Amino acid sequence: MALRELASLEKYLGLKKPNKYSTQGDKKVPVLQNNDADPLVGLVTIACHLVKEAKRPELLGDGAEGRAVVQQWLEYRVTKLDSHTEDTKSILKDLNLYMQDRVYLAGNQLTLADVLMYYGIHSIILDLAVQEKEQYVNVARWFDHIQHHPGVRRHLPPVVVLRNRLYTSRHH
Amino acid sequence: MCFVVFFLKDFAKDRYGVSAMVQSQQKLDRALVRVEDLTPHKVDQLIWLRARVHTSRAKGKQCFLVLRQQQFNVQALVAVGDRASKQMVKFAANITKESIVDVEAMVRKVEQKIESCSQQDVELHIERIFVISQAEPRLPLQLEDAVRPDGDGEEEGRATVNQDTRLDNRVIDLRTTTSQAIFRLQSGVCQLFRDTLTKKGFVEIQTPKIISAASEGGANVFTVSYFKSSAYLAQSPQLYKQMCICADFDKVFCVGPVFRAEDSNTHRHLTEFVGLDIEMAFNYHYHEVIDSITDTMVQDRYQTEIQTVSKQFPSEPFKFLEPTLRLEYTEALAMLREAGVEMGDEDDLSTPNEKLLGRLVKEKYDTDFYVLDKYPLAVRPFYTMPDPNNPKYSNSYDMFMRGEEILSGAQRVHDPQLLTERALHHQIDLEKIKSYIDSFRYGAPPHGGGGIGLERVCMLYLGLHNVRQTSMFPRDPKRLTP
Repeated sequence: MALRELASLEKYLGLKKPNKYSTQGDKKVPVLQNNDADPLVGLVTIACHLVKEAKRPELLGDGAEGRAVVQQWLEYRVTKLDSHTEDTKSILKDLNLYMQDRVYLAGNQLTLADVLMYYGIHSIILDLAVQEKEQYVNVARWFDHIQHHPGVRRHLPPVVVLRNRLYTSRHH
Repeated sequence: MCFVVFFLKDFAKDRYGVSAMVQSQQKLDRALVRVEDLTPHKVDQLIWLRARVHTSRAKGKQCFLVLRQQQFNVQALVAVGDRASKQMVKFAANITKESIVDVEAMVRKVEQKIESCSQQDVELHIERIFVISQAEPRLPLQLEDAVRPDGDGEEEGRATVNQDTRLDNRVIDLRTTTSQAIFRLQSGVCQLFRDTLTKKGFVEIQTPKIISAASEGGANVFTVSYFKSSAYLAQSPQLYKQMCICADFDKVFCVGPVFRAEDSNTHRHLTEFVGLDIEMAFNYHYHEVIDSITDTMVQDRYQTEIQTVSKQFPSEPFKFLEPTLRLEYTEALAMLREAGVEMGDEDDLSTPNEKLLGRLVKEKYDTDFYVLDKYPLAVRPFYTMPDPNNPKYSNSYDMFMRGEEILSGAQRVHDPQLLTERALHHQIDLEKIKSYIDSFRYGAPPHGGGGIGLERVCMLYLGLHNVRQTSMFPRDPKRLTP
């Protein structure tokens, strides 16, 4: 899974030469063998490295605060989303509240945080019923926006997010 | 020692009390006024009425009562004065709730509208009050609780009554204004069905309910002992409706019980319900049948009843289009696929997909009632006429209210040869349906029809959530009484 994400990320970043990854441990943590230095271990570490390699530092956030927020979400992706320590409903609830008045997770532009959170949350959103997508309307809106960003979706199937509300507040 | 006890002389003692049981001892020439007729035009008249004591509450030298008759209620007052004594006021205050009383009273105008009663402009000043039938003091449920909206109960710490308690004490539960409204509406739905069809030349028929073979399939049928053998309770009048068409009755309908031994404990299944069934011979196209059916379903009457029910069970008002919206199955598939649902061309609609489709249709067309036409042949019964142009589809339709199915119908196969083929295709034992196939051997007109569940239609029309609310004495796998 993580390897597919990294491959998609490389394509999105426009990196010409795809890297060769290996994995370690039962959790299949991705490893990138770096020629000169120590190997890079972990999805987030490697992803950040790729962003720097592609010379797209803005994807890591704008300014000190912006960069901190991006890192926070990258950490959230690995510690909360991937590890299944939180139950799905509370993740969606928190994210829905957070996204109430935001277009992107960090700042006003697409960052690596949006991309990796999109990859990570895709399977959850895919399984939501129309009614649930309406319940977490801000998450759905953000998700639809990110999946339509040119070049981001790649290996993942599109998820239908309806424009119009089908369920009013007093639904059957 | 002697005790001297004083009795305050009760000057009003002839004007109140518990009456002797009415055993038709006498024919009193007394007109009783209906509570619903207590309007300002009756002010200053002395009238008699018979009603239930909904509440009675003493306040010093007065006793306030609310007298109720079905959906209507009125405030009444017994006050110590020249007509009523202290003992009479005390008597009135102690009359148990739900007791039936005969009351003679002056109708008086009120300054401020009495919001809590149906008769808001007048109140009764009681001169005589007699108990005709006393209710036991401990009621199994309180009508105020039974009529309270569910949400309110939790918020204000007041009780509501759960469904099982209501159903166990149905006689009292049916007295609530909501129940009265629901079943009057139900009566109206039946009436509209009959009136509409009779005007179109339909004949009402009665079909047997004790039959020799399961009409819809052997799984969900009740068996009864029939002298030395067994018989079944009819799952639908299907067979007999069609036989009537072959017997030249042309257009028929029947209203009667339907028995389904389905062990489904859901909000919309009953083991016994009332079927409104229709079957008609048509000239050239089965859409003539669909139009006849939809005409029986759409009406604007009974607004008062609908309002009353929505006080306890708020819901979105029911919307429909004229003419009724008719979608083809392929269109529905497209709408569902656009919403992210994956379905094969010949798949049946699952209940969640039906509900989602209902929402999509509501959003797109703003209607709660529509017809879905041309179902895939594979998912319909063997007697369904295949589509003439596309063998994968059929001349069959379902109708939906608020996203839930209320009717399944079709053009039937009226040719015995084709019928035999279809039966064989469905691996049905031809012996078991021999008399059915025989009905079509001596000239049978093209015909079609469908069946509706009365309780389900009322439930959906009113936006209620459980079919037991629209069945007076519901039957389900767990309930056989009252």
